[in-house]
Parts: sequence; C-alpha cells; structure tokens
Amino acid sequence: MKKAGGLALCVAVLGVAVVLSLCAGNRWIGIGEVYRALTEFGGSDTDRVIRYLRLPRTLAGVLVGIALGLSGGVMQGVTRNPLADPGILGVNAGAAVAVVAAIGLFGVHSLNGYVWFAMGGALVATVVVYLVGAVGGTTPVKLALAGAAISALLGSITSAVTLLDLSTLNEYRFWVVGSLSLADQGIVAQAVPFVAVGTFLALMLGRSLNQLALGEDLARALGTRVMLVRSLAGLAVVVLAGTATAIAGPIGFLGLAVPHVARTIVGPDQRWILPWSMVLSPAVLLLADVVGRVAARPAELQVGIVTALVGAPLFIALVRRRRMASL
Amino acid sequence: MAVVRVVAAVLSLSLLAGCGPAAEAGSRADAITVKNCGIDVTVNGPPKRVFAAYQPAIEMAHALGISDRLVGTAYLDARVLPEYAAAQAKAKYFKNLPSREELLSQNPDFVLSGFNDVFSAGGSDSSFGSRKSLADLGVRTWIFSPLCPTADGKGDEAIDPATVSMDNVYADLRDLGRLFGVEDRAESVIADQQRRIAAVGNAVKNAPRPTVAIIRPALEGGGLTVSGGPDFGTVLIRQAGGVNAFADLTSKRNVKISVEEFIKRDPDYVLISGCCDAAMTAASSQPDVDKLLANPAYANLKAVRNRHVIPWLFANHSAGVRGAYTTENLAHILHPDLVK
Repeated sequence: MKKAGGLALCVAVLGVAVVLSLCAGNRWIGIGEVYRALTEFGGSDTDRVIRYLRLPRTLAGVLVGIALGLSGGVMQGVTRNPLADPGILGVNAGAAVAVVAAIGLFGVHSLNGYVWFAMGGALVATVVVYLVGAVGGTTPVKLALAGAAISALLGSITSAVTLLDLSTLNEYRFWVVGSLSLADQGIVAQAVPFVAVGTFLALMLGRSLNQLALGEDLARALGTRVMLVRSLAGLAVVVLAGTATAIAGPIGFLGLAVPHVARTIVGPDQRWILPWSMVLSPAVLLLADVVGRVAARPAELQVGIVTALVGAPLFIALVRRRRMASL
Repeated sequence: MAVVRVVAAVLSLSLLAGCGPAAEAGSRADAITVKNCGIDVTVNGPPKRVFAAYQPAIEMAHALGISDRLVGTAYLDARVLPEYAAAQAKAKYFKNLPSREELLSQNPDFVLSGFNDVFSAGGSDSSFGSRKSLADLGVRTWIFSPLCPTADGKGDEAIDPATVSMDNVYADLRDLGRLFGVEDRAESVIADQQRRIAAVGNAVKNAPRPTVAIIRPALEGGGLTVSGGPDFGTVLIRQAGGVNAFADLTSKRNVKISVEEFIKRDPDYVLISGCCDAAMTAASSQPDVDKLLANPAYANLKAVRNRHVIPWLFANHSAGVRGAYTTENLAHILHPDLVK
C-alpha cells in the first residue's frame, strides 16, 4: 500500500512539473491564461508561446523522461549492473554517430529525419555490443565492458567527424548537449507510438527481470526464457533510448540516477522500480528544464547541462549516504 | 628546463656574435613597428608571404592590392565581392582552416585573420596558436582591430567593446598599408569607404530607426543565436539607419537566446545570417527564411507579417572592407525609398 501511495504522490509531482513547465519561462504566464490558450486559441503572442513552444516542449519532456527512466531501469535490471544506463551499452553512442552521419553525409537537417537514424544507430550498436559481449557466453560484466569499448570507439568517430566539418555540424554540437527546445508538435506526435510500444514492453518485463536477478541458472529453473527476456529488454531499450535521443539529444544521468532513487525507496522489485522510474524521471526532467529556462535569461541553459549539474552531486550523495542498493 | 634555457641562451648569443651587425643594419633601415590589439608587430620590410584566414582578411588583402603575396587563403563565409573575384580565383584556397602545422608548412611570414579565434589558446578547434607563439617562430600576425580581445590567446568572449567601430577598420587599413608598403592604396580605400558611408548617413539622417535582429539559421528551433552588441553588425545597422534589437546583450558576439525572448522583442527586420561556403550568396538562405515564415510560433512578429525576413550573409556583418558595401545594402533594405 505504501508503495502505491508513493507512486500516486510521484504522479502528483509530475502533474505539478507539467503545470510549471507550461507557466514558467521567459515570462510567467498564469494558469488561467495557459488554460485559455489551450482551450480557445486566439492567436495572440501568449497563445502562440503556449501552444507552439511550451506545450510541445512539455510533452517532449514527458516522453523523453518516460523513455529515459524506463530504459535505464530495464537496462540495470537486465545487465544486473548498477551503473547501466543507455550510455553504457553503446545505445546513445550509436544514436549519436547515426545522427552525425545523417547531418554530415546525407544532409538531413530535420528532427523527423534524425529519429530514424538515431533508432537505427542505437539498434546496430546494441546488437554489435551484444554479439561482442556474447563471445564465449554472456555475462553482465562482459556485456558492460563490450558496451564501454564500443561506446568509446563510436564516440571518437563522432568527434573526428564533427571536428572535420565545423559548419555543417554546428547543429549537431547544439543537439549533443541535450535540449527539449528542439521539439515541435510534429516530433512529439511522431514519438508517441514509439514511446508507447517501448513502455508497454518494458512494463511487461518486470516479473521476468525479477527472476533474472536471481541469477541465470535459477531463472532458467523457474522457467524464464533468458534469451527471450534479454532480446525483448534490448528491443525496449533501443526503441525508448533511440526515440529519446532523437528528440532531445543524449541527456545523461536521468536513466542512471532515477532507477537508483526508485530502488532506494521501493526495494529491489522491478514491478515497482519500473513504474516509479517512469513517473519520477519526466518530473525531474521537466523541473530541470524549467530551471534552465529561468536561470540564465534571456538565454537558456540546455536541459542536458542542468541534469548533469544537478544530477551529479545528487548521485554522489546517494552513493555516499548508503551502500548502493544492490541488484 | 633550466638546461634548455641555458643552451638556448648560449646558442642565441653565438648567433648574435656571428651575424649580429648585418642583421642589425638591415632592421635599422626597414623595420616598421605597429601596435595591433596591444601587441607590437614588427616587420623588416614588407611581408612577402601572407596567409589570410576568413572572409574579412581575404577581402582586405585584395583591397590592399597584395593578392600576389598570398600564399594561402582559408575559410570563406560567402562569395567574395565581385571586384575581388578574379584575384581570389588565382589564390590558393583551403575550405577549412588549416592546422597549425599545415599553416606553417606554407611558410608564411604574416598571418592576417578576420576573427580572433584562430589565435585563441582554447575554444577553437583549428587554432593556429597564440600570436606570441607564432611570433616566436618569426611569423607576424594581425587580428582585425574592431574585434580586439582583451588578451593574447583569448577568443570571442573577450572582445573589448570599445574597439568595435569603423574607425578601427580605417586604422587597420592605415597600419597594414604601412606594414605592406602600400600606404597610398590604403588611403584611397579608406576615402572610398568614408565617402560611401557618409552618403548613406546623409540619406537616412531623418528617417525612423527600425530594430533589426541578425540571427544564425542553423540553430533555429533549439533556441536562437543572435548578434549581440560586440558584433560588428551593430555598427553597420546603426550606420544604415537602424538599431540592433539585441545590442544590449554584450557578453559575446553571438548570443544564444530563447525563442520566447525573440518573440518578446519583436524586431522590425530579421536578417538571416547565412554562412559558410565559398559559393554562398544571400539567396542561399531562402530556405531558412521560408522555414521561419512558416513557423506558427513566429506568426505574430512584425517582421513576419510585413515579410521583413531577409536572406542575408554572415560575411556582410564582419568587420572589414565590406563596411561600405554592407551599409549601403542594409540601408536599401531598411529604407528602400531613401537609398537605392
């Protein structure tokens, strides 16, 4: 009961974050005005700012948050590695290389174009990491090592390409920090089905991930089809992290830290960790974005910078306060 | 370190002893020293192997008539002005800025740069090294003085706002004219610039002053990058009878702002600062103009309703001999009935 009540509280926090994200910005717009702008569009500046800038941005924040929180949770569950997040299995690096290629080689300059490249890159990287890590039997550690190695390789390719072509890749350099302000209505609408499929897959995996946590042999003895669970988990992560990366660029820390916070509160049960991560992560992301919008006016801090600034100390505090909840 | 220093000292002493008198005689006869952004630039006779980096430097070299001394030109932001096209076609051209090593392999004795980031110690991916480090190798350097950084090795974040003026372009022309031994040519370029800018100033004297925003298109959607106060565009807009809508933002030349801030300021004109390709023309930015006009978030802007979103060139608002051309071009955009 306590866990369900806590989850309800998280949903409430997310609700507050959504409202704040609509009201706060370059100038404060009251709730009444926001409501009016959304229900009876009149074409004034306020209406346009709400409908074409803040609403898509807020929805993007919710989608990206859900995707990052869930993919981090699933990844930590399936690799049984407390440091796993979409960064560690090469998912982000794969998506980033693909986006660089899209901009630099194929002249793709719209986010609608990025989505597919990001997803494809994430998929290829994940498969390669898995194949490399699977040589002579898969273990969580080998998988993580393979991920780190492939990430490093892909990262240096990305740097090399961006350094060689400064003007074309200015766009990429902005994107790579991570920002919600690139999102518009079209992107959000396109992303919804991907995030929905990924979310469904991830939430379905809770029980199987619990069994996997007992160790591969015991999980098998309990009737878990380890290969299938791993494949589905991989698919969920690729879809979720790929979509999130395409919308907002690689935003760090969220996928890593939020599932840890959830685990600290609700214990090791994946059936609770995943829903908590899914609600807590967008709340944190939106609040970070609001801070970024308000803190440095008239400029904006990109949300990737804020999550790193806020997330790093938070994560260190978490690690120091108690032994990291083990998996 | 100490050992190296001693060896270096001994070596240089012996060199001085060997050929000191001859060298001294030579330098006494022809040495010219001019201060540029706080650094003494000394040449023993006019430089013969000049490397020009960026549009303003390349156009400046052609304007001064030293095209035949160029050992290399790099990184054009747009097509050069028509009067320099023939000369530029003959010059060796690097699409990207060369590395320090490649630059030095051209064996230049003088590097002329339109922007200071090539001499910044950090922040630029293709730094030639600080001016002092190049001087140590015998390569003289020049930064366009309207963008003087507060110290050697600093980039755009350290522009001294007091230097941003057309007078500093004239000072550069005069000083470079002396260094290159082409004083007369420099004076005639200055006179031409002054005459044309004064003519525009007279024409727009009593006209209302619209606000103008210069924006970089590539980042549109993810916040905007506008030209702030220290950008030379501020000076050019003023000369053409307008006001930079973001002149009060003085932290950097290119300032990132939120889209909401842009909508709030609602500038009368929006110039799309297209960049960076040797074949670029203003028309190349038309797709970015169309994108901005079609974005419903911008539909209420005065500039959008009046179709005052103009495809334009980054090259136009660089400090240099384009000053007169850009002033005329801008005045025609802002005050078409007064300036043809």
